[in-house]
Amino acid sequence: MKYFKVIGMAAAFCLVLIPWNTFLCQAYEDTQCFQCHTSAKKLIEATREIAKTRPTVKSAETSGEG
Amino acid sequence: MEPLAPHEKIFVDIDIVDDENHGEIACHECHGGNPDDPNWKTAHKGVVKDPTYPDATAACGDCHDEINENYQKSLHVSLRPYKLIMDKRASTNTVIRNKLGCAMNTHCSECHASCGQCHISRPNSVEGGFLDGHLFQKKPPMQEVCTACHGSRIQKEYLGEHEGLLPSIHKKKYMKCDKCHTGEEMHGNGKDYAHRYDVENGPKCVDCHKEIYKREAKNVITHRIHKEKASCHVCHSQPYNNCSACHVGKDEKGLAFFKTKSSWFDFKIGFNPLKSEKRPEKFVTLRHVPADKKTFDFYVKDALSNFDTLPTWKLATPHNIRLKTTQNASCNACHGNESLFLLEKDVEDNEKGANKNVLVPVNLIPKKQKWQPK
Repeated sequence: MKYFKVIGMAAAFCLVLIPWNTFLCQAYEDTQCFQCHTSAKKLIEATREIAKTRPTVKSAETSGEG
Repeated sequence: MEPLAPHEKIFVDIDIVDDENHGEIACHECHGGNPDDPNWKTAHKGVVKDPTYPDATAACGDCHDEINENYQKSLHVSLRPYKLIMDKRASTNTVIRNKLGCAMNTHCSECHASCGQCHISRPNSVEGGFLDGHLFQKKPPMQEVCTACHGSRIQKEYLGEHEGLLPSIHKKKYMKCDKCHTGEEMHGNGKDYAHRYDVENGPKCVDCHKEIYKREAKNVITHRIHKEKASCHVCHSQPYNNCSACHVGKDEKGLAFFKTKSSWFDFKIGFNPLKSEKRPEKFVTLRHVPADKKTFDFYVKDALSNFDTLPTWKLATPHNIRLKTTQNASCNACHGNESLFLLEKDVEDNEKGANKNVLVPVNLIPKKQKWQPK
């Protein structure tokens, strides 16, 4: 009976107090997507590079209210 | 609304990992691409910018199954009424209709919403960009989503952005769009509606103003007299924005453009073109829409040869409601006041045929009243 109590308390401790989310976040943060898209510096560099190669997509002739 | 800087559009807030509902979903599970590739150029191969359009099943359907079942028929996604209207106005010639279809795909079909373009980013039609670092927004923010598209009419009216006009009283009460236009309305209920005014769970003034016809209500006589004669907006809206003559084409670089002529604030009462059990009123407010016989001339001449089948002055529900307005100041502020009604002289010659059923002949304008309720 005593052992059951100890085991039960240990299990409850694990479920309630261990921040499981931390492990999930760890996996999430490791991806290249996350590392780049959460860094303004990296995004500025990348979008500047894109802007050099990609032509304008909006016509200057658009006028009036849509 | 100013577009976001390119890097701002795709900046992800680190707090997304704390989102208990979406934080466990890795980027590539919805967007594709290679999450292990350190070279962003090759890592983005196969990336889907908006995985919720045209089909959101894979991205959202597992959890939001009820919404996913119906949203394809939401008018914000299907644009069905728009297509039906063009169908009615279009020539019956198959070759012309096909060319019109191509033109519409280029210019009109882009203006749709998706799960992502309301709850995660600004709509594509206003150049997109995350609303708040890709954090999921249960209620889309009004000015970055709703009025980003519904700007020239609804926003200006609701916020009172036109000189001399007041904002809607509902704005003064701090009401956002979703107070009347619920998520259920936006997400669709599986029915293929032909018009936005047919939507069963669309807003009705009496949903909130339940008491107006009750004996003890203020102005009960006026409300009872006008019930089914005039829509709420006839008495309670201020002048609203009207648009004209939209033309589309492609520039020298092959980029699509549109041009509209003037827009103007006006207030016109006419006959209800969409009389139904839900909207039985004889008189309603009418708005001129930017429809034009020559809208698609760049692609094909006479595309809208049946233009006169539908009015260009359409049933409108302006979003600038006030309790007291110029036309409801007294009975005779409206009765016998020709300037408030859409008369033949107010309509362009080439649109008279289209609007014949909504124009009010002078002899049918409600007569001046001798008796006035207190």
